[in-house]
Amino acid sequence: MAEKTVVISQQNTKPIKISKWKVREGFTISIGTVVFLYDFEKVDIKQQRKFKSPQAGTVCKLIAQEGAIIPPGEVLFELEACIHPTVMKDMCAECGADLRKDDLNSTASVPMIHTVPDLKVSEELAQKLGKADGERLLRDKKLVLLVDLDQTLIHTTNDIIPPNLKDVYHFQLYGPNSPWYHTRLRPGTHQFLNKVSPYFELHICTFGARNYAHRITAILDADERFFSNRVLSRDECFNPTSKTANLKALFPCGDHMVCIIDDREDVWSHATNLIHVKPYHFFKHTGDINAPPGLEKHEHDEKDGIDLSNITPKVDKENGNDEENLPNCDKTTVTEAFSQNEDSEKISENGESQKDSNVEETKEPPDEKTENKPEERTEERKNENAIDVIEVEDPDDYLLYLEDILIRIHKAFYEEYDKLDSGEVPDLKKVIPNVKGQVLKGCKMVFSGLVPTHIKLQHSRAYQVAKSLGADVKQDFEEDTTHLVAVRPGTAKVNAGRRRKNLKIVTPDWLWACAERWERIEEKIFPLNSKGSKNRHPPPHCSSPEHNPNYSIHDTPAQRKRSPSGRFMDTINPLMSFSTADIEDMGKEVEDTLDTESESEEDATKKAPLPIETFDKEDSSSSSGESLTAEMPRGHKRNIDKRNDEDEEELKESEDEFPSTKFRRGEQLDSDLDIGQDSNSEGSAEAPDEIDDGEWNMMGAALEREFLSN
Amino acid sequence: MFYHISLEHEILLHPQYFGPQLLEKVKTKLYTEVEGTCTGKYGFVIAVTTIDSIGAGLILPGQGFVIYPVKYKAIVFRPFKGEVLDAVVRQVNKVGMFAEIGPLSCFISHHSIPAEMEFCPNVNPQCYKTKDEDVVIHAEGEIRLKIVGTRVDATGIFAIGTLMDDYLGLISN
Repeated sequence: MAEKTVVISQQNTKPIKISKWKVREGFTISIGTVVFLYDFEKVDIKQQRKFKSPQAGTVCKLIAQEGAIIPPGEVLFELEACIHPTVMKDMCAECGADLRKDDLNSTASVPMIHTVPDLKVSEELAQKLGKADGERLLRDKKLVLLVDLDQTLIHTTNDIIPPNLKDVYHFQLYGPNSPWYHTRLRPGTHQFLNKVSPYFELHICTFGARNYAHRITAILDADERFFSNRVLSRDECFNPTSKTANLKALFPCGDHMVCIIDDREDVWSHATNLIHVKPYHFFKHTGDINAPPGLEKHEHDEKDGIDLSNITPKVDKENGNDEENLPNCDKTTVTEAFSQNEDSEKISENGESQKDSNVEETKEPPDEKTENKPEERTEERKNENAIDVIEVEDPDDYLLYLEDILIRIHKAFYEEYDKLDSGEVPDLKKVIPNVKGQVLKGCKMVFSGLVPTHIKLQHSRAYQVAKSLGADVKQDFEEDTTHLVAVRPGTAKVNAGRRRKNLKIVTPDWLWACAERWERIEEKIFPLNSKGSKNRHPPPHCSSPEHNPNYSIHDTPAQRKRSPSGRFMDTINPLMSFSTADIEDMGKEVEDTLDTESESEEDATKKAPLPIETFDKEDSSSSSGESLTAEMPRGHKRNIDKRNDEDEEELKESEDEFPSTKFRRGEQLDSDLDIGQDSNSEGSAEAPDEIDDGEWNMMGAALEREFLSN
Repeated sequence: MFYHISLEHEILLHPQYFGPQLLEKVKTKLYTEVEGTCTGKYGFVIAVTTIDSIGAGLILPGQGFVIYPVKYKAIVFRPFKGEVLDAVVRQVNKVGMFAEIGPLSCFISHHSIPAEMEFCPNVNPQCYKTKDEDVVIHAEGEIRLKIVGTRVDATGIFAIGTLMDDYLGLISN
């Protein structure tokens, strides 16, 4: 930096005597600051006068001595002109100079404070502050954690919902006639923040508007213990579709101590220090209301979430009963009585809810969670000050695992830091993949039915997920193979595997569950049974960018598009995304696969590919980021499978039980279920290339789970 | 600095108010339109004290709206460079701190805070404090500052302050 030194000299016509310096070297002074007191020499009337600085800057050298007599024109002191290192609203925050006029230039360009983009500091100062931050973090044994809000810690909707749900906050942001927001905190959010805050400095990094972000922060952190103004909202984001750009400004010394939790990777350019969080979905039909423009994802919409429509009327009815029958009861007894009352009511109403209450009592086994079963939520009720609060049962316990993951990362980081004596700081971008790589270390896996034959094992997502967890995946059995991940029983590998000792045969769900929680889950929870598994593809949040360079290329956010109509039905229509050439290819590939006779033994009953293809497409696809071609042959095999077991019946059943879900998709309620036909009729109208496979897969996954859930 | 000065303002009134309450309406409209606003020249209009005159209304041809020129006296707050003021700290961060002097926001850079005060991000709330914790400045604390610069826009004023002078800093009760 070019430092301008200004020499201030004596301007008076008479010699002066400096009686006292009011500044020291290194002081920052502005125009008019008193620099020293002086008096004229040889004047009878003694009078202290103040010498005021004609310039702003930093005093770098006091040349004249105190008590010395300075003749006119002599140098008094040297001043380093203010370089305006901190600028607020185009005004130097050091010297108050207006940088809009006098063509004054400032080097300040880095907005370091999350909430105040107007406040900028120079590169040097930013580096200095960043370094101080880094040192402080190391001293306190902390790391930085960037926390996303929507679908990570909370879920917000604009839909009309019952007003008395527990843990749901209602607010308006823009005056009395603006839309209402309803925000549900992810279960355990407060505990999570409490537990994590000793290890991490928490920052919020969201695409919500500033008002929204601050409102949510106030809910999450009422006494400002966790975030204390470290809130970055859309208003402060440099780039409307990416959060990465702001990192450089917030952490000028590099993001090696930054860990990120977010439900989407694309906004972070698939950074390796990102922990991809399982998206939290509570309100039906609402995705991320603050998704960046053009990057909306509409996944799980039908499946996940809680059907609040079922809850409301029932509660209202019971409210009436409640007050009539038990007016004088103690609060707790009322609650108890009611939960029983409710149960019995439900049992008499339909058999299904009995199952649910059982599930509730027996504490649902973990595999159900990973399959995302849509439980009918039963509600517990509490009487509090005559206001009934509905407590919705929410099975989401992901934050417990996330907390565990984060603390492990913290531990790994500081263990490595302690090892490096030289004061070097490890990089979380390497530490985090390492921690992840410990999860299944030592496991040697073989896949069966998981990777299509024409795809190289190394290129499949399953392989990459397993690799990122530290497992070793081989094409065929070796001496020390420990796990066989099989989609269905009866394949050659499964049969061979059954004869081996020390080999655990699990479904892919086990792998996905491990990837979600970053821990080696008991294999017994995911045994391979006669039905096999339907989740061939990892859920989107279990992806592993660091082992999958291609993935980020072909699944760039820019390619994601909504279907023109925006309707769920259209987005899962496979015919829209397949050109005729594609379909021909599919047919050919199926034939090839069948000829070569891979692992599937049930291929005998081969059918005309097209209509069935459409059908099972939704079923087999459950992840984003795999190319279409990767799925085609598998699709056929699966489809034949299905023919053999009762899946189709199940589908029908589930359709009958959920007319509402059918209705939401825009079908006629009593028409026979045939998505294939439906899509035929609609598909022709739509441009086939409109839908990206990633999004399409997510839709498929959503629908699939819906079907499977019953 | 506060001033009690005469100001003028034009009130545009809809014809629906033409009636016995017309002048009352002009007055209430003046209060709502003027109080709390900020002009670059006069600063923040804090309160209208007296309404001196309401001139003859001029009906706008073709619209029916009427314009009343109103002369009034008001207390205004106009910050100046070099002025010393009491402020309430709003936010403290590593770059400096934000304070409010009534309607006026003010930023004090880290360099304008005495060097013996250090930023402590770990305590709750975050604060600037001296080593011996004699002086602790955190959000909601009251400080005395000197304004070193003002950014005067058409619609608002923003100030830069400093604590680097005698008798500036935390106001202890």
